[in-house]
Amino acid sequence: MTNTMPKIIRKTSPYLRRPNANAPRMMRDVTIALLPATFFAIYSFGLPALWIILTSIVSMLVTEYVFYQIQDLLQGESFKVINKQFSLYNFSAVTSGLIYGLTLPDQTPLWVVALSGVLGILLAKLLFGGMGQNIFNPAAVARVLVVVNFATLATYQTNIDGVAGATALSMNNADLFSADVLNHYPIMDLFTGIGIPGSIGETSALLLLLGGGYLAVRTSFEIRIPLMYIGTVFVLALAVAIQQGLGLWYPLYHIFSGGLMLGAIYMATDPITSPITKPARVYYGFALGVITFIIRIFGALPEGVVFSILIMNMFVTSFDYYKVTHPRFNRKRSLIFIAIIILSIVVTLVGVSYAG
Amino acid sequence: MIKKSRKVRDYKELTRALPTQTYLDPETVYIHLQNGRCKTYDLYVDEGDHVDFGEVIGVRHGGFFEQPIHATISGTIGKIGKKLHRTGRKVDCIEIKNDFKNTYHKTITDRPDHVIDKLDQDDMVEILKQKALVGLGGSGFPSYIKLATKETINHVVVNAVECEPYLSSDYRLILDRPEEVIMGLKYVMQALNCEHGMIAIKADKNPLYEVLTQVIERRYSDLNIEVVRLGNYYPQGWEIEVFKNALGIEVPHGELPMSYGVLGFNVSTTAGIYNAVKHNLPVVERYFTLTGDAINYPQNYRVRVGTSIQDLIRQSDGYKEDFDEVLVVMGGPMMGVSTVSDDVIVSKTTTSVIVLKNTEYKEEPCVRCGSCVYSCPAHLEPVQIMNAVKRNDKDQMKSLHADRCIECGLCAYVCTSKIHVTDYVRKAKRLIR
Ligand code: SF4
Ligand code: SF4
Repeated sequence: MTNTMPKIIRKTSPYLRRPNANAPRMMRDVTIALLPATFFAIYSFGLPALWIILTSIVSMLVTEYVFYQIQDLLQGESFKVINKQFSLYNFSAVTSGLIYGLTLPDQTPLWVVALSGVLGILLAKLLFGGMGQNIFNPAAVARVLVVVNFATLATYQTNIDGVAGATALSMNNADLFSADVLNHYPIMDLFTGIGIPGSIGETSALLLLLGGGYLAVRTSFEIRIPLMYIGTVFVLALAVAIQQGLGLWYPLYHIFSGGLMLGAIYMATDPITSPITKPARVYYGFALGVITFIIRIFGALPEGVVFSILIMNMFVTSFDYYKVTHPRFNRKRSLIFIAIIILSIVVTLVGVSYAG
Repeated sequence: MIKKSRKVRDYKELTRALPTQTYLDPETVYIHLQNGRCKTYDLYVDEGDHVDFGEVIGVRHGGFFEQPIHATISGTIGKIGKKLHRTGRKVDCIEIKNDFKNTYHKTITDRPDHVIDKLDQDDMVEILKQKALVGLGGSGFPSYIKLATKETINHVVVNAVECEPYLSSDYRLILDRPEEVIMGLKYVMQALNCEHGMIAIKADKNPLYEVLTQVIERRYSDLNIEVVRLGNYYPQGWEIEVFKNALGIEVPHGELPMSYGVLGFNVSTTAGIYNAVKHNLPVVERYFTLTGDAINYPQNYRVRVGTSIQDLIRQSDGYKEDFDEVLVVMGGPMMGVSTVSDDVIVSKTTTSVIVLKNTEYKEEPCVRCGSCVYSCPAHLEPVQIMNAVKRNDKDQMKSLHADRCIECGLCAYVCTSKIHVTDYVRKAKRLIR
């Protein structure tokens, strides 16, 4: 019997918590998963890539820091160097900044990077109430601000063939179903990313997938979303390829080019801006795939990934609406979903035959 | 951390392999006169009276049933005092001072086997009623009401899953007294005229499997009793989950298992049924786990009902000196109730007391990872219920079926952001009741 009596305090059950589960670790994992792609970006595009990435991260971090300092001052708190809401330690701003940086063309002026970064995190995250409250993915918002405001400034490196400011995907846009594109960008190169123009972080499907594997092992993302997303784009492109008599290169080309891998693995899976149940996440990934594909082949823009993500971000609340949400699949919903998949393929094919 | 997670670290290694310590002769015992289900009582004894072991000293009144109160030692009646009950309220308890003579009351006589063989459902129900048998796993529901069912029962399941971390009293009970469990099950099967019995254990509890199968094969091979090994996840011990995994019978929310032809009893209850039928004994003792990371010698005990937990903590060499703040939890660490004092007693339904060091978890904003939704055994969306509570939107709480929550604690356990989600869901349950 001991003499010292500890204080007995009261709490509510459960009294245990899962070890190794924490939000900072989850965000940090995304950053770690992106490291191969980041190094490859710097290797392929040189110092400009490094500057772009640093600028995007710093712009978001500083904005968040200043924002919370001002908020604290307004609430009459005394100045602290590290205030409690600033989320450097939980990596969410670093993660957004890094993803945003990687989506940018290598010729983007740094002031454009910084300005859009500041606005992106401010409008998409801070004004909504900070981490966990945002509806839109800050990285995607920042990226779209660049497209909308500074499209002519943010251009791609002139590549060997002298196609000015084009990505593999925008080449294809000029002539919808020409296998010509393969002469410039063999599938294997698209997969590894060697010698492929494009936004600095999106060129190497291989390295992005590698990071995805890491996230899957760490259970730091919902793998159903990228699987559905990429799978949907693949299936739709495959349907078109069959209808138009194109080879397997066509769907492969679709999934390896443009920002699909980057967007599907790292942006669409942001848990804060995606639905909360398993079925809804599957539907969400599917919808992203359809929208991306439609923008790609019918839209004026070569790239549908960030737009589709922002569009679907708006519908996340409907997926999660309490009257329709369901944590498990059931037969009826699955049948409806299969019907919708078939319908989407049909609509795409009809659309393509008119466009062609 | 987006993951369906039902693995809960179980810490059973602290006590599982240790022999059960017997502590049957405390100086005094305190018997609850009230409990969660019974608010009023009549007492047949006065201070200074002498009582025998197993004697009826009063009766508790529940809403729709009565429950005799038995003395669990022989000795003299002391004062009525207030003690904390598991429910967090102070309830009346009567003291019995041990005379260490252990004189049995005359009603405590063995029933010969040929008499037992002729007992039918009504006789058994009457015995359980007289002996005040209740769900000893913690539910406290009167067993005779369960046993009196008029439905056809095809399967009787003994729940020995004990999925809460830290707990190993059921484990020790089976190792020490497998026959009582099997015989108890036999009696229930006899009462219900049921052909199929089942003992459900966790898959990783091989010793239990071996003990039970060997005893059944050698001595009870005429009975159709199966030992099934269920998954190692939490809350596998939830009755609905046991039925689903052991028998493939899904009992929908709000319906009684009996209408699906199955009936479940906790192992301690089953052993209690054996003692009631065979020895005409009320529940006078139980297997009890006293463990946790803030106590010196975690241990399983065989104790009298009414033993003071302070006594037992002393038996286990007291609290560890390393911690300033501890939690004293009655029941398991996932669903148990934390008390403000260790001045509590072992009642029929207390399976365990866990003494834990107080850990403060740093809460982050919800990142909507969905782990709580993936993991909820009742298929709810805890995070959405939490948001509805924050907005005080009762319609939403109802539509999200917050009332179906079994308070297993898994949503808070798995939460990536260490949010106490379970508390919010509990609040929702209260608000929409
Ligand atoms: S405590 Fe309730 S809501 Fe939380 S996981 Fe368990 S059943 Fe689901
Ligand atoms: S409450 Fe916790 S487990 Fe549930 S979604 Fe939010 S962070 Fe994830």
